[in-house]
Amino acid sequence: MIKTAQDIKAYKKQLKEALGDKFLRTALDKFNTVYRENRPNVYAGIDFEGIRDDIAAGKDEALPHLMHMFDEFKAHAEKAGVQVHVAHDAQEANTIIAKIAADNAVQHIIKAKSMTAEETFLNNHLEKEGYKVTETDLGEWIIQLRGEGPSHMVMPAIHLSRYQVGDLFASVTKEKQNSEDIDQLVKVARRELRPAYLEADMGISGANFAIADSGTLGLVTNEGNMRLTTTMPRVHVALVGLDKLLPNLKSALRILKLLPRNATGQAITSYVTWIKGANECRSAPDDKKIMHIVFLDNGRLALAKDPVFAEALRCIRCGACANVCPIYSKVGGHKYGHVYIGAIGLILTLFYHGKENDRAIVQNCINCQACKAICPVAIDLPHLVKKTYQAVLNAEGKTPVKNLILGKVMRNRKFFHFLLRQAYLAQKPLAGKEPLIRHLPLFFGKKHGFRSLPVISRHPFRDQWQQLAKKVEAPQHRISFFAGCAIDFIYPEQGKALLELLEGSGVQVEFPMDQTCCGLPAMMAAEEETAKEVARQNIKAFAAGKQDYIVTLCASCASHLKHNYLKLFDLDSDKPAGLKAFTDKIIDFSSFMADVLKVDSSKFAGSDKKTAYHAPCHLCRGMEVVDAPRNLLKVAGLNYVPTRDEDVCCGFGGSYSVDFPEISAEILKKKLDNVEAVDPEILVTDCPGCVLQLRGGMDKRGSKIEVKHIAEVLAEAKKKA
Amino acid sequence: MQHPELIKQFKEKAQAVQAIVTEIETLDEAIRYAIDLTQKQGGKTIVAPGLGDEERLLLKNECEAAGLTLIEPPLRPQANNIHTALTIVDGGIAETGSLVLTSSSEDVRIATMLAESHVAVTTAGSIVPDTEALEGQLDAALKSDEPSYTAFITGASRTADIERVLAIGVHGPQELHILIWGGTPS
Repeated sequence: MIKTAQDIKAYKKQLKEALGDKFLRTALDKFNTVYRENRPNVYAGIDFEGIRDDIAAGKDEALPHLMHMFDEFKAHAEKAGVQVHVAHDAQEANTIIAKIAADNAVQHIIKAKSMTAEETFLNNHLEKEGYKVTETDLGEWIIQLRGEGPSHMVMPAIHLSRYQVGDLFASVTKEKQNSEDIDQLVKVARRELRPAYLEADMGISGANFAIADSGTLGLVTNEGNMRLTTTMPRVHVALVGLDKLLPNLKSALRILKLLPRNATGQAITSYVTWIKGANECRSAPDDKKIMHIVFLDNGRLALAKDPVFAEALRCIRCGACANVCPIYSKVGGHKYGHVYIGAIGLILTLFYHGKENDRAIVQNCINCQACKAICPVAIDLPHLVKKTYQAVLNAEGKTPVKNLILGKVMRNRKFFHFLLRQAYLAQKPLAGKEPLIRHLPLFFGKKHGFRSLPVISRHPFRDQWQQLAKKVEAPQHRISFFAGCAIDFIYPEQGKALLELLEGSGVQVEFPMDQTCCGLPAMMAAEEETAKEVARQNIKAFAAGKQDYIVTLCASCASHLKHNYLKLFDLDSDKPAGLKAFTDKIIDFSSFMADVLKVDSSKFAGSDKKTAYHAPCHLCRGMEVVDAPRNLLKVAGLNYVPTRDEDVCCGFGGSYSVDFPEISAEILKKKLDNVEAVDPEILVTDCPGCVLQLRGGMDKRGSKIEVKHIAEVLAEAKKKA
Repeated sequence: MQHPELIKQFKEKAQAVQAIVTEIETLDEAIRYAIDLTQKQGGKTIVAPGLGDEERLLLKNECEAAGLTLIEPPLRPQANNIHTALTIVDGGIAETGSLVLTSSSEDVRIATMLAESHVAVTTAGSIVPDTEALEGQLDAALKSDEPSYTAFITGASRTADIERVLAIGVHGPQELHILIWGGTPS
């Protein structure tokens, strides 16, 4: 049975256990890397973005008309001899299906893989009613025998090793199995399940597509069990979510271009099957299949009307949001979803399985955006995860203490900055003369000790601004600098590096003193009202400036200011004045240097330093800036060497690394191992948050590799006047 | 795309998913192929739903000569006893190396799902570039009120459910042989 943690304490205990499963970690870590590395081959010659946007637009257009499409589907399917039902919730779906079984004197039921049947816990219901139920998909059969739920939407038994499967099969067949030979294990399933196809009276399947204008089901499978399940028994029941309804074949074929590629890296699966009506079946009366299609609502119709969450219904269940998730790859699907797994699972669980099952897991998102980038239907998954967390908090009528404090502190910039200055005094005895704190006070607990922490600066950037500010005659560009908390209060030297670098480039720099935290930490904690208040303050702080651009050295601030500010006020009628003008001017450091200033190698003295690069999540995905920083490194004469998983999260995620330190530490470990594998002298990135995480981790492992912000290395490489 | 290039692409894509592709000039060659394959694999039976009367008779005689049994429809009673299925499919999709098979007849479904090896004959002329080229025809068939069961078949049945290791031949055929008929001018 599925045992999803109902509170954060129980959840953290489960996570700790999962992190101790060596097989799981190694297997999923490898999968995460290989899946992404294969992607260019899988998508060669395919316009992923173009097709993705078309599918998303098509789905959005169709979603308001689900019941209209249902009526159309029903009329066509009935003409071809099918009985069509609609179930309002899981219980009703299970009852309808059990009744079909009873009406047809069914004893043995075989099943092809269906996530919708997992959603309704159909097997439990049918078994309680006295039916023998056999799963026929290999992975589903394995987890059925083990009494588990799926740990991945496409590969349900991905959490198990061949040895675990071998032992399981040995107990089923009462024969010793050679676990090294996976081919032979697969043949065990082939042999053992054959009789079930011939003996069963009813077959249950799901469907990937329900085509309204012809009443056809489309099914995308690999093993061949689905075709047998829908052919051999005299009764076929398909359980289909209402969200699988599509207007026509064209929309189904469009999805078929991306679904197998995204799910398993196949151009197409072994079998794509189009079933229309009650086909010939010689074990049925009149040689005609008794066919029923049960459409499941279970909250979908309400979801389709929701202005924020409707896009979750675009999901085509490819499972890729789990494949690329750095957290999934550390803890596995049983700890990263309830029935539905991965980022989409963190969202759908609230709607299909209740807040109790979602309240802990929904907090476990680092907001690295990897799922959003890979999603074949362009669901803004990290955004919806935060919205879901907020909906859980609202439903429970609770505000966590952390959120109360966050709201109180962040809304008041002066108080917030006062606290940061106090922190400088408080940490003094811990840091001594070092710029890093290596031993945390005991109340932090051991699990936070995976990285050294930086000290709060004695002289925040804002205090130094008076001395640093310079007037440029007849400037070619006017910019305002958005520092963000990390640079202002921890790494002012990175801000100074920017100024050094810009000297002599004809750039007039301003620093509006009323700027405050970008607000991302509030959004991460689902404190939307605080996030909005802080956004208003920042927009106001920059409103008077004459800047062409607002430049920031922090990738996370950049993507939050540029994209999330618009999203925050998306549904509001009273948007802050100058919102769009503000977001339009936001630019990240690398893009400003490369695309606006167009710096070339003549400015740099060069250095042969072997340099590795870490692509911050919020730069490469959040801002979609990929080439600019790498090109800058080359322009500055540095010897840039690529590393594996360069665009995978470092595990920082702001408060995530404090909330889930053990997972953060594991993600960081893989990152640093990959960097050390190419043996560079420096590791460069363009986000102070990543610098904090990477530098702290390198220091902890006693590495000689220096970690620097790209502005610092460029300033160092600049020709001195 | 020119037709020879289309056939070439179809072959490459089908071979990439472990289908065994051969070009033939006459249907007799397909019958010979099915019999040789069955013998080589130690099989005893062949089914061939959907074959024309003339070819069926030829196949029956050749089977007898080779010591094999041609199982006659209906196939359900002998579903567990099928070694080779010889079928003539509706066409192919070059982009993915897929076969298109109308399997509304139960015998066609049983043959192509429960056989150990599936030998599928497609005419060269019925290979299309991609699913878009097929859309109109398939859509028309689906919009008829007649029940239908259409399959795109790509390679043999497969799984990666254990440790993501690819294993060929799960519940469906363990081998898919594709014979392209009339691809090269004689």
